[in-house]
Amino acid sequence: MMNKFWYLTKYGLKKRLKSKAFIISNIAIFLLLLAIFNIDSIISFFGGDFDLETKVYVVDNTNDSFDILKANYETIKMGINEENDNVSFIKSDKKVEELKEDIKDTTDIIVELNVDETNYINASIITENYIDTLVYQSLYQAITGTKYQKAIIESNINIDELNKIYEPVTIERVILDETKNTEEENMNAVMGILFPTLILPFFFLIVLLVQFIGGEINEEKTTRSMEVIISNVPAKVHFFSKLVANNAFVIIQAILVFLYGLIGFFSRKIFGSGMSSSFTTEINNALSSLGKTGILDKLYYIIPITIVLIVLSFIAYSLVAGILASMTVNPEDFQHIQTPIMIICFISYYLSAMSSMFNGSIFIRVLSCVPFVSFLLSPALLLIGQIGIIEVLIAIVLLIVVNYLLAKYGLKIYKIGILNYSTDKMWERIFKAAKM
Amino acid sequence: MLQVKNIVKYYGNNCAVNDLSFEVKDGEIFGLLGENGAGKTTTFRIILGLLDADRGSVSLNGETIDYSKTDKIGYVTEERSLLTKMTVKEQLIYYGVLKGLTEKQVLDKMDDLLKEFDVLDYKNRKIKELSKGNQQKIQFISAVLNDPILLILDEPFTGLDPINVKMFKDYIRKLQKKGCSIIFSSHQMEHIEEFCEKMVILVKGKSILEGYIKDIKKDYRKHNIFIKGDINKEDFKNIKGVIEVSKKDDEYVVKIEDYDVVPKVFKKISSKEINKFVVEEATLNEIFIAKVGELK
Repeated sequence: MMNKFWYLTKYGLKKRLKSKAFIISNIAIFLLLLAIFNIDSIISFFGGDFDLETKVYVVDNTNDSFDILKANYETIKMGINEENDNVSFIKSDKKVEELKEDIKDTTDIIVELNVDETNYINASIITENYIDTLVYQSLYQAITGTKYQKAIIESNINIDELNKIYEPVTIERVILDETKNTEEENMNAVMGILFPTLILPFFFLIVLLVQFIGGEINEEKTTRSMEVIISNVPAKVHFFSKLVANNAFVIIQAILVFLYGLIGFFSRKIFGSGMSSSFTTEINNALSSLGKTGILDKLYYIIPITIVLIVLSFIAYSLVAGILASMTVNPEDFQHIQTPIMIICFISYYLSAMSSMFNGSIFIRVLSCVPFVSFLLSPALLLIGQIGIIEVLIAIVLLIVVNYLLAKYGLKIYKIGILNYSTDKMWERIFKAAKM
Repeated sequence: MLQVKNIVKYYGNNCAVNDLSFEVKDGEIFGLLGENGAGKTTTFRIILGLLDADRGSVSLNGETIDYSKTDKIGYVTEERSLLTKMTVKEQLIYYGVLKGLTEKQVLDKMDDLLKEFDVLDYKNRKIKELSKGNQQKIQFISAVLNDPILLILDEPFTGLDPINVKMFKDYIRKLQKKGCSIIFSSHQMEHIEEFCEKMVILVKGKSILEGYIKDIKKDYRKHNIFIKGDINKEDFKNIKGVIEVSKKDDEYVVKIEDYDVVPKVFKKISSKEINKFVVEEATLNEIFIAKVGELK
């Protein structure tokens, strides 16, 4: 019987991997990722220019503000990791009206610095068109900073005092709850952006899994080929072959998407994008920021726990999808019946994405142990310290118990369901089948 | 030999099969008759082990049927049970391997069978592109790929034209000669009558008539007399034992209670010009309608 199990499994997997839908969608995903990673090269190819220099012509009517302004701008750019924004400062002796002619059909900027009647700086920023928001904000801050600095200098404060004024304020962060620390506090902010992106693939994989398993069982049932199959292999063998084949398929699909991402990342070097080094720098900066939050120190135990939770949850979702599909008699039925599964998965995703907002509330901590939700929520809450390892272990134990119960009673339902073509009172039929 | 002994199956409070027993010897064709919902498909499913009987037993050559035996059982379901997105070749390999054959064994046998059923040209076509009749052929071929010792045919001739029906019948006879036991269900009584040695009529899961068809017909005493000649309906009035007289084209069909009534009928019309006077046993269809009708 094991031969038939492996034949069904291999057949199911081969069917998916050889299908036109799989090949076309993978080509599309690959090209999409390649395009995303090389979007700057593509834009440049179609006439865009990321290397185009923006000149800032400074008409300094105050006579001594240009250097301060330029220095302030550089500092601001360093602070936001935008050293390579291709903006250069030029002190201009020309009149503004003349410069207006010069910047026609360019992205160049005129900054006119004046002093008002109270001897404080005011400024005009003149461009041909809209300018980049980040450049505008940086210029605005640089001009404001120049105003403060000039005011301080003119108030005759000595150089030591001036340096002290410009030093960043030393803040000692004290949290009275000894179980909390500042790393986790920083992590909350990071989680809000990072975690939804990290868990999104798992959400999609569950959706794929449910649809594939349910769809296959539903198809075999509606074409009545199920009776012939089940007359040659036990329902249990048939069911588990579907589980193994489709889980293997989604794992292969996940690995492929990861590989496409890697290829896309390394293709930047092949296509020689000018942004390559800054991109790598940004990744390093992001990793460094993550390191400061303490996330990386926790990954060595969170990753294995997450893998265990995901594998167990994949099995649970597969079992539910298979059991419910066995009771359906047409594809429309299955579409209806899979909706609650999708909603649960969807809720899990959003709860997980918003995990940092719950401040460790009891409700969310309990929910993090609930099967079907725990695989996305538990690792998120563990990462930001809102739950401990005990809660995660409870979630794992509960998933094992649920999987055992689903396999035990679900197989009874499945065995009866696949031969039942009745269209009414589905839930009643499910409970009756479980009791048999 | 297949032995079905006192099987009982309930769905909730509804008794689908009620104390049913029968035997099908090697090389015997057995008819299972019954209205829709009489319990035929449930009986097939119990034989195949798809459903567990609440009571009773099923054995093939003295052994309980389990998944080690089902490789040698062919099953043609009432409705087409094919994966329509597969090609004919893929479908036969799929079902063949599930019946315990290797891919090579399936490929070795496939072409001969496809040729015999005149569908070799469709080998690489998708099932969904075939006509209903050709789909039925593929379904039949997949059931006999592994030279079954027991073949279960649930309405096998549905959707087939007379030429294809003959093709199926010839192959079934061939299997019968090889010693294959065949269980056959059909709503078309003439097929059962032509094909089966033994039969059972099921009503609400219970056998109401069973045995060899020739014995059943013999025991069912009513006969039909087919008469052609210069006669009319009035001639059969007041003959004791005549149940009904009907006319089809220029032929009268006189239904009688017993063979003993034949001389009375003949005597009554003997003075007239008669071209045809044929006495036949009641058809299986009549027996079925009468027996099932009695219970309603």
